[in-house]
Amino acid sequence: MNRVLITGLGMICPLGTDKNSSFASALEARSAIRPAPADIATRLPNVLVAPVAIDPESVLDKKYSGLDRATQFALVAAHEAMTDARITTPPRDATRFGVFVGIGFGGAQTVDGLYSRFFKMLHDPTQAHKNPTVMHPLSVPRMMANAAAATVSMRYGLRGQSSTYSVACASSAVAIGDAFRAIRHGYLDAAVVIGTEAMLTPGSLMAWNALRVMAKPDPTDPAQSCRPFAHDRSGFVLGEGAAALVMESQARATSRGPTVFAEMGGYGCSSDAEHLTAPSVDGQVAAMRQALYEANLAPEQVQYLNAHGTATDAGDVTETQSIRTVFGRSADKLAVSSTKAIHGHLIGAGGALEFALSIMAMNSGSLPPTAHLQKADPRCDLDFVPLHARHGCSIEAVMSNSFAFGGSNASLLARRYTP
Amino acid sequence: MLEGIIKSYLIDRAGVDPAKFDRPDLHVSDLELDSLGLIEMLFEVEDQFGFQIPEPMRFLTMGFAEMVAAIEATVRDHHDGQLPAINATRASD
Repeated sequence: MNRVLITGLGMICPLGTDKNSSFASALEARSAIRPAPADIATRLPNVLVAPVAIDPESVLDKKYSGLDRATQFALVAAHEAMTDARITTPPRDATRFGVFVGIGFGGAQTVDGLYSRFFKMLHDPTQAHKNPTVMHPLSVPRMMANAAAATVSMRYGLRGQSSTYSVACASSAVAIGDAFRAIRHGYLDAAVVIGTEAMLTPGSLMAWNALRVMAKPDPTDPAQSCRPFAHDRSGFVLGEGAAALVMESQARATSRGPTVFAEMGGYGCSSDAEHLTAPSVDGQVAAMRQALYEANLAPEQVQYLNAHGTATDAGDVTETQSIRTVFGRSADKLAVSSTKAIHGHLIGAGGALEFALSIMAMNSGSLPPTAHLQKADPRCDLDFVPLHARHGCSIEAVMSNSFAFGGSNASLLARRYTP
Repeated sequence: MLEGIIKSYLIDRAGVDPAKFDRPDLHVSDLELDSLGLIEMLFEVEDQFGFQIPEPMRFLTMGFAEMVAAIEATVRDHHDGQLPAINATRASD
């Protein structure tokens, strides 16, 4: 079996426009959460969002204008990761180079835009002479869930497997895990893996609002509204953006000599088979244990865990219990934080973003805190690195959890690379 | 007017060399559009006039001037022989 290395990282997310600015914001606990823009706030005044600060079109070639926003995010993050890893276009081994994408609600922005256009035209007397059903001819290839994978494959001339995973909040964690397996078992030699999501649209925010899982706005500072593990937490805030990783076999990487960020240690995935939205300890424990087993690591050999930590009542308590079950006596020595407090819940992109932040934490020895955690829920009794980053840590291995609606659980484990 | 809409799409969005339009015998095939590019170009007109232009692939075998004339004829057919003024407020991209 091949050892699998991570040789490129890229991000465009609410925290920043690249990985370094994003990680710096994570360490400073600089929250990107804010009230929704006027078109949404008019009818949903309590909805908060964590938007990406720049228009992705502003940093992309004009030929990518009009693509779904999630595809644009994917292109930006992939570019940073591919540049990092010094991948030539096309790579010489293009048929052995794959694309794996995780996205929860593919095409959300395009579909929402299509309905907005239809109803706007239908009710606009100045447009009465027009047929409101006339739509942009590329609406379908823009909204299809694999639009990002297709566009990235074409941009870099990657001719290996291109697969898209839609596993709600675990989408990109599963994409990373399956890319890892494909390289580990020799089906591919390299892959770019991207998590992306762009659904801060009126239509999807109405739907999320109806589910009653969204954080209530903090009366004094909306930026502090999402408080994972806190006694007064009230849910999560929807975010958007993308993160990308380049993964390659040790043999491929060694022949080129790029910077190695980490070695993929292990991957675990499981299904609760219990409830559409409620989490389960058994399923989460199974995912984390598989990842540790594959990495051949004992629980005490992992020093940092980026929790799924959505700040829902059930989610945070269940994850705390699951971590205690898996880590046993070493649970009290494990640093756990949820960066969702400041970048929001990126759904399909969350797994990739949080795993990438974890790898940067390992390499820098600085752990991003759980922001806004003044007083923990007594049922959440781990070391959550409250409020402030912890520097000078010696980290050998990190874990990142993504637990999805639908009961799909994924855990990823990365370790420091030693040839 | 129609020619302006079509040309600005071709130059600004599809990356067609503006010098090509100086040639009186310019053929649609010289624009090197694939089938998606062709219907995307037609959408610029469809969006302005609010209807879907039928049989798009017929334009691929025409000269450029012939295609513009055929599109104009289609628009006029749809509007009782008139070519409506372009509405400044477009529904969207």
